[in-house]
Amino acid sequence: MDETVTLARLRELFLENPDLEATRWLALSISALLVAVVLWLVRRRALREEYTPIWVAVSAGLVFVSLRLDLLRELTRAIGAWTPSSTVFFLGELFLVAICLNYAVRLSRAGTQIKNLAQEIAILGARVDAIGARDAREGEPG
Amino acid sequence: MAAPDSRSSAERRGVLVIPAYNEAPRLPGLLARIAAEALPLEVAVVDDGSRDDTSEVAARAGATVLRHPFNLGYGAGLQTGYKYALAAGAPWVVQMDADGQHDPRDVKRLLEPIERAECDLVIGSRFLEPTGYAMGALRQLGRRFFIGIAGAFGFRVTDPTSGFQALGRRVLELYAGDAFPSDYPDVDVLLTAHRHGLVVHEISVTMHAGERPSTLHGGMKSVWYLYKMMLSLWAASSRIPKAKRKEKRDGRNGDARAPA
Repeated sequence: MDETVTLARLRELFLENPDLEATRWLALSISALLVAVVLWLVRRRALREEYTPIWVAVSAGLVFVSLRLDLLRELTRAIGAWTPSSTVFFLGELFLVAICLNYAVRLSRAGTQIKNLAQEIAILGARVDAIGARDAREGEPG
Repeated sequence: MAAPDSRSSAERRGVLVIPAYNEAPRLPGLLARIAAEALPLEVAVVDDGSRDDTSEVAARAGATVLRHPFNLGYGAGLQTGYKYALAAGAPWVVQMDADGQHDPRDVKRLLEPIERAECDLVIGSRFLEPTGYAMGALRQLGRRFFIGIAGAFGFRVTDPTSGFQALGRRVLELYAGDAFPSDYPDVDVLLTAHRHGLVVHEISVTMHAGERPSTLHGGMKSVWYLYKMMLSLWAASSRIPKAKRKEKRDGRNGDARAPA
């Protein structure tokens, strides 16, 4: 048998693999757990509300994918992957790269703000020292 | 920005900025040599989060002390001095290192071209004339490399890493921005000034040997420095608006040069 045909058939076998209920429930459980953790962190003030939408979106995406595995299979065919799990990993990696870049930008901005604040404190401190020295001179007798 | 004491002495005299990190042992000697020169400058020591008595030593010697609550880096220390000078209305700043390499006797010569409004920035160069200053082979190579890159952008300079400089107000306003690096402001910021149409001069200065070896250009730091400087140079060369580029092409030439 032609080797190319064999590989193509093998890929079809992977893609035709019936959905596993266990996989579906695992994805649903993880998304529910993610939402619960996000809510818990917000309640503890460990996570600010403005940072929650991305995680809620991830959770919603997981729910959607676990309910519509047929769409995941179509996407897998479209991008040339062999198995739906590969597609999930690929999307996950893209997401991680994007979020790391996003946080690096936020961190850079926060670093600049911290530096500016520290410089402002230094300048204010010099001003306080100068005022203190002037008051001390004016308070001296004679 | 916080305004220092209203219309301070800096407004009339300019500011001598000295960034210092754990320099308590060497500061008294340097500040005494500065005082002996009776310079028309307010001396401001920027204590970059030192763990020793740098602030106390500087204050005892009569310097204005700008104290960072934690270590921010050499460039951020300089920038704090620039911001202080700007807020105080100072007409110019002279910056020098706290390790005693720079000679306070050169400060007046450094300031003269700016006082005469001949330029915006004066670099105290170790290489404009033979001064006997010795630099390691690797650093020498790096210096030549960055001089070459600056030259490719039409900016000629002999000592882009000199920390001994005099800066006019237009340079201070440019350097007070967020693009100024917190770690090593070298040829990248000079190129930025050049590309903003600011006029840069160099004069020859005496440089004494430091009492401790520089760790900036050794080991992995050299690699990081090279990478970071290349990136900064690219950023500096790409930040100028097109209109400014056209204006520069048509008109002014901001090469660093020795005053006539």
